Amino acid sequence: MNELMNTFTERKDDLLTAIFEHLAISLSALLIAVVIAIPLAILLSQRKKLAEIVLQITSILQTIPSLALLGLLIPFVGIGTVPALIALVVYALLPIFQNTYIGLSEIDPSIEEAADAFGMSRMRKLMRVELPMAMPVIISGVRTALVLIIGTATLAALIGAGGLGTFILLGIDRNDPSLTLIGAISSALLAIIFSTLIRFLQNRSGKVTLITLAVIFLSIGGIFFAQNNPIGTETVTIAGKLGSEPDILINMYKEVIKDEDSSINVELKPNFGKTSFLFSAVKNDQIDIYPEFTGTVLESLVKVPKSTPEDLSPEKTYQEANKLLDSQFDMRLLKPMDYENTYALAMKKSEAEKRGITKISQLQAQQDQLKAGFTLEFIDRQDGYRGIQDKYGVKLGSVQSMEPALRYQAINTGEVDVIDAYSTDSEIKQYELMTLEDDQHLFPPYQGAPLMKKEFAEEHPKVVKALNRLAGKITEEQMIEMNYQVNVKKEQPAKVAHDFLVKEKIIGEEN
Amino acid sequence: MEPIIEFKDVSKEFEGNVVLKDLNISVKKGEIFVLVGPSGSGKTTSLKMINGLVEPTDGNLYFKNKRIKDYNIQKLRWQIGYVLQQIALFPTMSVKENIEVIPEMLGWGKEQRNKRVDELLQEVDMDPEQFRDRMPSELSGGQQQRIGIIRALASEPDIVLMDEPFSALDPISRASLQDLVLELHQKLGNTIIFVTHNMKEAMKIGSRIAVMHEGKLIQCDTPEEIQKNPANQFVEEFFDETTDEVYTQTLETLYNGGFYQSAETADAALPSLSMDTSLSEVFDLLIKHDAFIIVRDSKKIGLIDRSDVFRFLSQEG
Repeated sequence: MNELMNTFTERKDDLLTAIFEHLAISLSALLIAVVIAIPLAILLSQRKKLAEIVLQITSILQTIPSLALLGLLIPFVGIGTVPALIALVVYALLPIFQNTYIGLSEIDPSIEEAADAFGMSRMRKLMRVELPMAMPVIISGVRTALVLIIGTATLAALIGAGGLGTFILLGIDRNDPSLTLIGAISSALLAIIFSTLIRFLQNRSGKVTLITLAVIFLSIGGIFFAQNNPIGTETVTIAGKLGSEPDILINMYKEVIKDEDSSINVELKPNFGKTSFLFSAVKNDQIDIYPEFTGTVLESLVKVPKSTPEDLSPEKTYQEANKLLDSQFDMRLLKPMDYENTYALAMKKSEAEKRGITKISQLQAQQDQLKAGFTLEFIDRQDGYRGIQDKYGVKLGSVQSMEPALRYQAINTGEVDVIDAYSTDSEIKQYELMTLEDDQHLFPPYQGAPLMKKEFAEEHPKVVKALNRLAGKITEEQMIEMNYQVNVKKEQPAKVAHDFLVKEKIIGEEN
Repeated sequence: MEPIIEFKDVSKEFEGNVVLKDLNISVKKGEIFVLVGPSGSGKTTSLKMINGLVEPTDGNLYFKNKRIKDYNIQKLRWQIGYVLQQIALFPTMSVKENIEVIPEMLGWGKEQRNKRVDELLQEVDMDPEQFRDRMPSELSGGQQQRIGIIRALASEPDIVLMDEPFSALDPISRASLQDLVLELHQKLGNTIIFVTHNMKEAMKIGSRIAVMHEGKLIQCDTPEEIQKNPANQFVEEFFDETTDEVYTQTLETLYNGGFYQSAETADAALPSLSMDTSLSEVFDLLIKHDAFIIVRDSKKIGLIDRSDVFRFLSQEG
């Protein structure tokens, strides 16, 4: 409980921003759904057959799992707010359309006859008679939709649209239940508050309801767009993958850029998503820069020609990655930092000593007794478990897929014996683990560097110059220590980044 | 008197069924013209042709010597009041808003509308202060249909169509609303076209009556003439059928059925009725008085109030 309060106090500002984003995206989705579904239902209220078809379609849309829908939208509209909005609108259509249609078609035919017999026009009949009568049913549909949207909007964080889901994801990633709880509770509270507000408005006159809703929509919408479109000033958007390390790095990027030219506006989007999201976000100009690893570029992002030799040195890996990015995507990696964050297999020190294992090749002898907890990504990668099977001939007794943060829990409690890790993870220190030697050189060198479009680099020489201050800096020990500060000591990434830059004299003290 | 509505060789088919055949009717200005007949006789279909809710398959209708289909139907409907059997007050509008539906479309100013609403409410003995802002659901069935009637009269239309307006009401409200219609007609002198399946009601209300059967007009004449010289057996039987209703039963039926209370403590000021009083008179009386005393051989043998009558009617139904 105490921890919850502490986290809450520390994150108050972030929480406010997240709530705001959450509301903005939820209410925009609701508004769009209302604007589509209600007129459609009005049009179709006279055409029964067509209405039934539309009802069927909206019901089917409703059954698509929200995560799948988000994934399906990415190839068409990229990531960020747009696909999240589309997905939420799709979910909200059914309850609103259905209730409007039912509300209108259940009006007593004699009332319709009276309206006609008094010479009301179609429009007047709709506005004065039909809609007011159907209003309670319509409003309850809108309420259902809103509660649905506010809940589902937590998934928006997965594709970089922000909102309270970032708290939940971050909580899972950092293994910090307080963050997850704060995100979940806030989202539930929002749903309850807005549902109650609508119920309250339902008993007021139609005018009061409409005016109140309009004010809420306009004010939130207005502030949201005002915040997101600072007119006249150019904004450099920097995003990072999930986790403490990218979060620390992008804070460093921001500081060095600001130190170079304080007039450049820098926007950070921490915990933006997984590798493929970030890469397509750069491709679609949704973000400008994110920290990427040279090895990841070669393994997952570019097509590597057959002629490329397999065992490249770190320097050669960087050059090759940069060359292929240039020719295939018109992008470039700036000069990398010092440390390498490669994949590694880790075991508990005590367990490894007991079994006499120090190298990956030694796993084979005891492979049937060993249980592994790997990330989904690691299991599927050629430089991950697939490579371990091919190159080392190691097939472990059981392999479970796990969220990155959970696998440390699992190895700590003894549920699994082997996990994949990154060489700079703070948990290696925290849980007294040791990494196994990659004696057949399966894992390529992974060096971190800012990834951006070539065009962007050419247009922003000051940004490039600033980011290059980090080239060759930060050792593996320093990175582990900074990760430890954030993950275990619960320091803010921005503070850790700032302190490091000042200590290393990369930026001036007064910043 | 010049005709205000004329049906000329009007026929109507619904999905191959002939519901009206060569109807010729002429309604004179200022009369109460009653269309009477059993269900399926085509009376409601004929009525709805006048305000264009139903269009004829053949023939033409004329309003003031001009074909109905040559009018702008919306504007024509503003000149034709309409009262429905289902009453159909707009449930989300107050009494006042219901009454001023047509005046508002006609563009009357606010003051003029307010004045008209109060005037009409007073006309049907409903206190404007008390009823103006009520919602329809807060009114009894009889009160609702009073509003239904004045809603139809609000714009001072030339003609008012009434489609079995009282058949869903209890006999007491029905009798009093019939009187109200006669009273208002006397005062306003407008033309009323009234549909009913009840010959008794037709006789009470109509200046002239058109008896319809299976889509054809059987007889059209004054009530007296129809009663004296029914055109055929159908008309004659229709009289008998519809007069064989509760209206024509006497107080004796009520008394014999045990629908009365002891007269011992009865207020002496209450009216007394003999056993052969018809029930329609009984209903009329109960509009003004809470109860009355039954007298046989100058002895008070019982007291009947509204609740006794309702118990009787609900058992009859």
